[in-house]
Amino acid sequence: MSKVYVITSGKGGVGKTTTTANLGVGLAMRGKKVVLVDTDTGLRNLDLLLGLENRIMYDLIDVAEGRVPCKKALVRHKKYESLFLLPTSQVKDKTSVNPEQLVKLCEDLRKEFDFILIDCPAGIEQGFKTAIAAADTAIVVTMPEISAVRDADKIIGELSRADKEDIKLIVNRIRPQMVESGDMLDMNDINDILSIDCIGQVPDDEMVVTSTNKGEPCITMEHSLAGQAYRNIVGRICGEDIPFMEFPKEGFFQRLKRRVFGA
Amino acid sequence: MHDEIVKIKGGRKGLQLSFAEGASFDDIWKHIEQKLESGSGFFLRGTLVLVPRERFLKEEFVKLQKLFHEHGLICRTMGEEPEEEPAAPAAKKQKAASPAARKKDPHVQEMVVVNRTLRGGQEIRTESSVLVCGNVNPGAQIIAGGSIDIRGTCRGLVHAGASGDTDSFIIADHLMPTQIRIANLIARSPDHMEMTERAERASIKDGQIVIEPIER
Repeated sequence: MSKVYVITSGKGGVGKTTTTANLGVGLAMRGKKVVLVDTDTGLRNLDLLLGLENRIMYDLIDVAEGRVPCKKALVRHKKYESLFLLPTSQVKDKTSVNPEQLVKLCEDLRKEFDFILIDCPAGIEQGFKTAIAAADTAIVVTMPEISAVRDADKIIGELSRADKEDIKLIVNRIRPQMVESGDMLDMNDINDILSIDCIGQVPDDEMVVTSTNKGEPCITMEHSLAGQAYRNIVGRICGEDIPFMEFPKEGFFQRLKRRVFGA
Repeated sequence: MHDEIVKIKGGRKGLQLSFAEGASFDDIWKHIEQKLESGSGFFLRGTLVLVPRERFLKEEFVKLQKLFHEHGLICRTMGEEPEEEPAAPAAKKQKAASPAARKKDPHVQEMVVVNRTLRGGQEIRTESSVLVCGNVNPGAQIIAGGSIDIRGTCRGLVHAGASGDTDSFIIADHLMPTQIRIANLIARSPDHMEMTERAERASIKDGQIVIEPIER
């Protein structure tokens, strides 16, 4: 049975698109048939993160308006045979697709794919309402930061108003050292306010930036901490019971270095 | 005729439903279900829905109540409403005496029960008292004519006695709201909020909002 996920957050810049790209690649690495749908019309990024920008022929708007069949607009990933991207338009805006069109599109995609991941735009306006319309499960991405948590809370409220009751949480860009020293919200603080099921804790990792620039998600990198966290999330989505990873503590020498050089 | 099977009238207490004579329970059921499904602005969560007392059999009413409850609404018979009472001579006498009696007797006060967490941007606005089984998150608002009881952590904005009742109060397991308002008084939280260990109660004493720990 195929499942439709929407990855959303309310606030911008917390890592919706990065998460979508990583989960998509991760699921494809396990041999699942996956399609990623970018609904951030006008500000599309998902194709960049996957390194597929130069292969786009048609987009979501063409499909929604019935100009081309959806098979024609799908872009196959260069490395993972079972991963497809349905890009959106960079010239149109978010009013170009309505919820009914997306629901119908997802019904078509369900026949072909195991997982449909929808990348949602920031905000709670039309674009958000369109993106969530077809979803079975919503994944809310947030950061350990008061404004991101506040927006996530609002989004969860909006989701339940739209009768989406299956909501999961991913906390992105955690800095273990700052959490330890009490300068950053820790998981307890976040759970206290949001109180929904958490399926991932992703540390802040420089490799995410390099991998974004290269167009290859960090989930493929063996030594990336964030990549490991994403692999765990993919496992949990597939129904495995994986404990949350322990972040490496700051060693004695690092601490000494930081004291001495004040970095 | 189609629309006449179920009539909805907005009242001070909530929505009053009346039904066409001779409409079968199944028809009414279907209509109400449709209306709830369509998500029209009438049926806000936490709204009180009043149904004429004599209209349904007991088990039919229980079924209806369940349906409304699934959509977060509270369903009651209109029996307690003196102004809606069928004009039986005995009832008339009661009616004259009842307003005063009702004020004294706390058992007939209405209460809105919210069985979920109130999240940022969500608002409960009612003339009655409010019971929340869940948290009230920052950015959420409760504005109640009566008192407010929160079985969880309160971090939002709470206003009890909004229509001027200075005897109303606010209780929460962890009372750390951004602002407390009771009747026409306002208190804001200290700039550095600490997690409270015990349930607390905010009420008006000597013209000020005071907060004191209570046993629960």
